[in-house]
Amino acid sequence: MICTQIFEMINMGIVVLDKELMVTKWNRWMETHSEIRAEQIIGHSIFEFYPQLKTKWFNRSCKSVLKFGNFSFFSQKLHKYVFPFKSVYSACTNFDTMQQSVTMGPLRDENKQIQYLYIMVQDVTEVAAYEQKLLEMNIRDPLTGVLNRRFMFCRLKEEIERFKRYGRSFSVIIQDIDFFKSINDTYGHICGDFVLKKFAQLNMERLRSIDLYTRYGGEEFCCILPETDLQSAQKLAENLRRIIEEYVFVFETSELRISMSQGVAEVTPDMTTAEELLKCADECLYQAKKNGRNKIVAKSCQREKLLPGQQNRGKI
Amino acid sequence: MNPDKSLFSEEQKDILQEIMNIAFGNATADLADVIDVYVELSVPDIELLGAGELPGYIVKNLQTYSQTVIINQRFLGDFKGSGFFVFPNGAGHDLAAILEDSNPQCCEAIPAVSLEKEIIMEIGNILIGACVGKISELLNTSVIYSPPQAIYEKSVEFNRFLKSFDPANTVIAMKTVFRFQQKDIKGFILVITDYESIEWLKDALDKFMESYQ
Amino acid sequence: MVMIHRILIVDDSPVARKMLKSCVPKDREYEIQEAGNGVEGVEKYKEFSPDITFLDLTMPVMDGYKTIPEIRKINPEAIIIVITADIQPKSIAEVISLGAFTLLKKPARKESIQDAIEQAELKINNTVKQI
Repeated sequence: MICTQIFEMINMGIVVLDKELMVTKWNRWMETHSEIRAEQIIGHSIFEFYPQLKTKWFNRSCKSVLKFGNFSFFSQKLHKYVFPFKSVYSACTNFDTMQQSVTMGPLRDENKQIQYLYIMVQDVTEVAAYEQKLLEMNIRDPLTGVLNRRFMFCRLKEEIERFKRYGRSFSVIIQDIDFFKSINDTYGHICGDFVLKKFAQLNMERLRSIDLYTRYGGEEFCCILPETDLQSAQKLAENLRRIIEEYVFVFETSELRISMSQGVAEVTPDMTTAEELLKCADECLYQAKKNGRNKIVAKSCQREKLLPGQQNRGKI
Repeated sequence: MNPDKSLFSEEQKDILQEIMNIAFGNATADLADVIDVYVELSVPDIELLGAGELPGYIVKNLQTYSQTVIINQRFLGDFKGSGFFVFPNGAGHDLAAILEDSNPQCCEAIPAVSLEKEIIMEIGNILIGACVGKISELLNTSVIYSPPQAIYEKSVEFNRFLKSFDPANTVIAMKTVFRFQQKDIKGFILVITDYESIEWLKDALDKFMESYQ
Repeated sequence: MVMIHRILIVDDSPVARKMLKSCVPKDREYEIQEAGNGVEGVEKYKEFSPDITFLDLTMPVMDGYKTIPEIRKINPEAIIIVITADIQPKSIAEVISLGAFTLLKKPARKESIQDAIEQAELKINNTVKQI
């Protein structure tokens, strides 16, 4: 009597399937979220109402529960959800479907033989949203909203691995806003922040969806351009240079224009770390500044093969 | 700390070995049906150890592989202990290919590393469940499981986990090497019984043989 | 009618042999001999000439797969019942093609052992009738 009430009132879904995967129990939580009444579904195959469950992983789990008495755990991370329900938390999260943590286990008779399996469904949408937010905060720069430096290093490492494995080239552009300090000094830090935000936005709008835009330092940004060689990266840098040069930043009653210097570098086969690539781009940036600012310098940092006794003097 | 090897009589050790042989053999046969892929489980190696020797035992076994991920799952009941599924890191990609998984909701948003880890966890859970399940069945008992956890070798969690065994206790470590033939992926499974279960186990072994008198 | 009296059990586990012995029906006197690996099994087969042989697959020195043809060299009509924990369609096919009579799943159970012995007796008697 009490158990039946608990079964119906518990704040999680409970489904019981027999060995042929026919539904034998469907509690009130399941009724509410599926809009399928128990009388409608009991006695029918679960796949009749949820054909999308006819997958290898679902089959595997049911079989392991029925054959071994195993407990299957479906994490939200891998599966997202098992039953496509709407969440009460949908309004304030990015998820249109309820995110679920689901477990499956055996139910035995008096002789300890497994006759049924239970499926328990928990709504973890709120937790998943929170986790997502934390992840985002971890990889983004709080001021500009672009990806942060930590993420940049992580990603560059991945790209280099990919280059080593598949040979797909990529390039980076390091941008440095010219005379940024004087903007802060002349117009104040709030204006400085505004300029940074707008600057990042202008660049991002121009990049492709596969490109990554990250904040490298105070007034330095780095574009990671997959599947891009040095020449194409240089062309892109020139486009960005022009956009920034021409744009009029309006802050309160002031109008101001800025420019940026850029260093462009492409990954080369002798590079093994992100630092090596960034160093190359940095050297180019330094040269761009020396050349008068509002300039782009792009070069290949492929090291020449040394003869014994020779020193690498580098090529700038 | 010397393990109390007199805990088990010679005959009980033989019975345990045969039960393990049967359990792992039966598990292999059923696994082919459950995961639809042939996985070979070797004849199990059984050792009685002081719990203090366990970390050394685990590390020694890990040396065969350059980098591993360990799936740990506790089981509880009269028969209590931990199951460890040790899998070479990086082979998760091959495993996913073998399983030919098509889970439409997942995959796009998840980095490859996480996806591989989740697949390893799922398979680890099934393999541990198969071995522990069959042993329980033969000994006429049933267990419940805690959710599986992934631990990476040489991580903080791994060191903490190595330190968690009470050196005063004796444990039984049962090891089987598994091999997914299709891609020659090898790893091993350890079933380690808690000290508290040993008395129950001795009893269960005796009862098992009684039905064969 | 020819009755089965002599049974040979080949398995490296003494516990497995004991289990099997206890499953043999008690309705008549069977003479049971044991061997701990394939080589011993073949030797015992030569001296003992059992009516049926129960054979494990995973054994040291010489495994079950190699033992079946060795026994059949001695007696092409030998009735060999393989008993193993890991039963898979491919192992069944393999041992049958090597010449085993049938395959049983461990752990040994009285009913299956009894059935196997009865089936073997039927086979022997049919063969005898034909001769």
